[in-house]
Amino acid sequence: MPLLDKLRAIVGPAHVLAGVELSPFVIEGRTPEAAVLPGSVDEVAAVIVQAAEAGVPVVPWGGGSAIGVGVPAARAGLVLLLTRLDALVEHEPGDLTATAQAGITLAALQAALRARGQWLSLDPPDVARATLGGVLAANASGPRRHLYGTARDVLIGVTVVTADGSVVRGGGKVVKNVAGYDLPKLFVGSFGTLGVIVEATVKLRPVPDEERLVATRFERLTDAGAAVRALLASDLIPNAVELLDATSTAALGLPPATATLAVGFDGLGDQVDWQVAELASLVAPCGGAKPVALPPPTWERLASAARDAFGAPAAMMTLSVLPAVVADTMEQGAEASRQRGLASAWCAHAGVGHLTATLRAEGARQDPASVAAVLEVWRAAARAGGGHASVTWAPLPVKSALRVWDDAGAAGRLMQRIKAQLDPSNVLNPGRFVGGI
Amino acid sequence: MATLTAARKPVLRRELETIVGAGGVLSDPEELLVYESDGLTLFRALADFVVFPTSAEQVAAVVRLANRESIPFVARGAGTGLSGGCLPAEGGLVISMMRMNRVLEVDYDNQIAVVEPGLVNLHLSWAVGPRGFYYAPDPSSQQACTIGGNIANNSGGPHTLKYGVTVNHVLGLEVVLPDGEIVWLGGKTRDALGYDLAGVFVGSEGTFGIATKIVVRILKKPQAVKTVLAVFDRIEQASAAVSAIIAAGLVPAAVEMIDQLTIQAVEDAFGCGYPRDAAAALLIELDGLAVGMSAQADRIVAACREAGAREVRAAADEAERQLLWKGRKSAFGAYGRVSPAYMVMDGVIPRTKLPYVLSRVNEIVAAHGLRVGNVFHAGDGNLHPNILYDPRTPGEEARVVAAGAEIMKVCAEVGGSISGEHGIGLEKADFMPFIFSPADLALMQRLKDAFNPRGLCNPGKVFPTRKSCVETGPVAYRPHAIETQGLAQRF
Repeated sequence: MPLLDKLRAIVGPAHVLAGVELSPFVIEGRTPEAAVLPGSVDEVAAVIVQAAEAGVPVVPWGGGSAIGVGVPAARAGLVLLLTRLDALVEHEPGDLTATAQAGITLAALQAALRARGQWLSLDPPDVARATLGGVLAANASGPRRHLYGTARDVLIGVTVVTADGSVVRGGGKVVKNVAGYDLPKLFVGSFGTLGVIVEATVKLRPVPDEERLVATRFERLTDAGAAVRALLASDLIPNAVELLDATSTAALGLPPATATLAVGFDGLGDQVDWQVAELASLVAPCGGAKPVALPPPTWERLASAARDAFGAPAAMMTLSVLPAVVADTMEQGAEASRQRGLASAWCAHAGVGHLTATLRAEGARQDPASVAAVLEVWRAAARAGGGHASVTWAPLPVKSALRVWDDAGAAGRLMQRIKAQLDPSNVLNPGRFVGGI
Repeated sequence: MATLTAARKPVLRRELETIVGAGGVLSDPEELLVYESDGLTLFRALADFVVFPTSAEQVAAVVRLANRESIPFVARGAGTGLSGGCLPAEGGLVISMMRMNRVLEVDYDNQIAVVEPGLVNLHLSWAVGPRGFYYAPDPSSQQACTIGGNIANNSGGPHTLKYGVTVNHVLGLEVVLPDGEIVWLGGKTRDALGYDLAGVFVGSEGTFGIATKIVVRILKKPQAVKTVLAVFDRIEQASAAVSAIIAAGLVPAAVEMIDQLTIQAVEDAFGCGYPRDAAAALLIELDGLAVGMSAQADRIVAACREAGAREVRAAADEAERQLLWKGRKSAFGAYGRVSPAYMVMDGVIPRTKLPYVLSRVNEIVAAHGLRVGNVFHAGDGNLHPNILYDPRTPGEEARVVAAGAEIMKVCAEVGGSISGEHGIGLEKADFMPFIFSPADLALMQRLKDAFNPRGLCNPGKVFPTRKSCVETGPVAYRPHAIETQGLAQRF
């Protein structure tokens, strides 16, 4: 029996997409052989077993919001859509935990949790589309990671289907657990290369009484960097510390400034008021203007400010550096692209050293080699700042002109060994990840 | 795996001495005895050698030698572990990290420190304290246990409720892999590249390699701290108060529960101001901004009163706060007043299951004709039932072990875990199937094979296939040396 017929037998004919229905799943001009929407964990397992037997690679797909990250598989294979697995399985407010299937969108999950006074402290962009499983697999994060951490800090249990079709559980439902190896850590940020996340249990937080986002303008990036250091050294407990360059500032529709520092606070009303007042006196000696409150919808646009700055970017890169050098990295990076005649936009979760930068597509100048050359300079800046940088979006010709992921060094060989142990036939997202995994 | 012959040992001793120096190798049986157990004195096993390297290169050379000879090796910190995790279960080498105990670097701007694994947990907070910083994970043995041991066990402590466990504070590690290669997993930046190998390494109980440098986050000390004592006439009320606090939208820094037996022992021993007739008390700590602190405390008080607390009071000053914490932290020593010996259990349950599980624990222990004291991290749902017994009474220790297994089954049945912070080690390897399927364990084994393909690095731990030659029969309880010196508590 051909693979497609076997898949139809597993999930029902209505849940196997082929032909023209595949247009939303074309990656870099490569059309997958089929897209399949399993309705249960057992169906996910059966689909993977069939694909593995047929030697067809499997590309797990949630909302597709991070599908541009990494190296597209040479053969698009079978898209495994998790969107039918979208149930909130369990939410017990007294336990401050919830279990949900991988395909639930982050927006739907948060709405259900908020209705009972709690939330999952992950706030990446595109929550209407991004799924829980995808956010975990891509280790996506947002401004509030400054205080609340990333997926590794909230994921306490995970169910995955591995390349041989086994259903494996790691972690558990409790917030503190050292029994066995920490499989949730293994699957966070693994981009579907070790197993397909089908269910997750997460730690939650109570919705704070109040939350406020304020912004202060600077005439120089270095001054904003100094303000970030002063803020981190203070008694204040911000939940977000976002640094925006002039272009990202404009993209958010904020008053023009060379640099904008957006700071979030949550807690009791008194605590928020006090901290906003303190912030004003902290940033003033660094040249920061009086903080002004930003409307709540700005929160959701912060993390993607650089991405959204240009209608058609030529490339996007994520840089990880030590927090103290964020402003310097931004300044050097912007200067490097300017020298090559290309405009860039930058934003950063400054307190944790996470920067996002995009390069504007400029007609004839957008030859892959010159774009790649700028990205290489950015990467060198990140490495000089004690970190690393990876291309998170670019057309294939650009991705082909440089290493998409940074070099993981000796640890990369260990990653290869883990991949070989868990997916020896290279079924799951082959070639997409660090070091060709 | 090879066993060393008597003729081979002197040869290897000389070779080890060339690596770590003449004063860095122990092989006399009476010296090795010191290293035959950890804090769980029930299990004992003798190594052929204990070696004391002072650098990653020395650790790597020792590990390569062990590979050449096909003999097992295990890293050891202060030996305060409670699951037998650092025992040389199958002979071979114990690699003590205690001479690698420096703070290598503190970067206050970026709020990180680079330390060696043999550094005592509390000494890091001492080192960064003058600048207003501290290291958050605070296991109750923090005066003695090492950061490297904390890495192996992903150690917690009372304040993990708000601040998380060890893994939430580790950014990177320099590691000697089981084949002797030195690699960095993660680094100084918050986001690692590729798989989160540092995250996976933490909590791997010494089976993935030996950490030789550790990058940890250091935190600013909070502006203010407030400690509240809530007293209850029924233990169910105290349990319900825990979930009520959580559901009221508060995340205290710590919520600890102490039951009546423990309160009475503590009051007999130290007089810390806990009411002797209380069925249970909650010790609740808030920290953070000074602004809003009393408003938050009011909410805690209201939640406790609503749950039926007969008395709720905040510590009036730092002295009273320290006294209340002393009662909590010295509970272990206090049990000596009411029982010749005790065995500490470690399990985790969803917080809302506390009332049910605590009553089941009491039933199980009573059914075995024993008594139990409970003092534990209630806010996390991390139970520590301490079963009291007399090792001189024949058969009593076996009943303790049987009761412990039943308690672990109850934790598993309510969706919990068989260890919150003490680890699996030797003690609970056979309990792993309570919560993990054969497929779950098979994947963990494959992960282990990626790090430790020859299985020489800390064999016989974590996985339920036991083939070790450890002495497991009932043996008399003995306090650990650091307990008799008053340096550490077990939970």
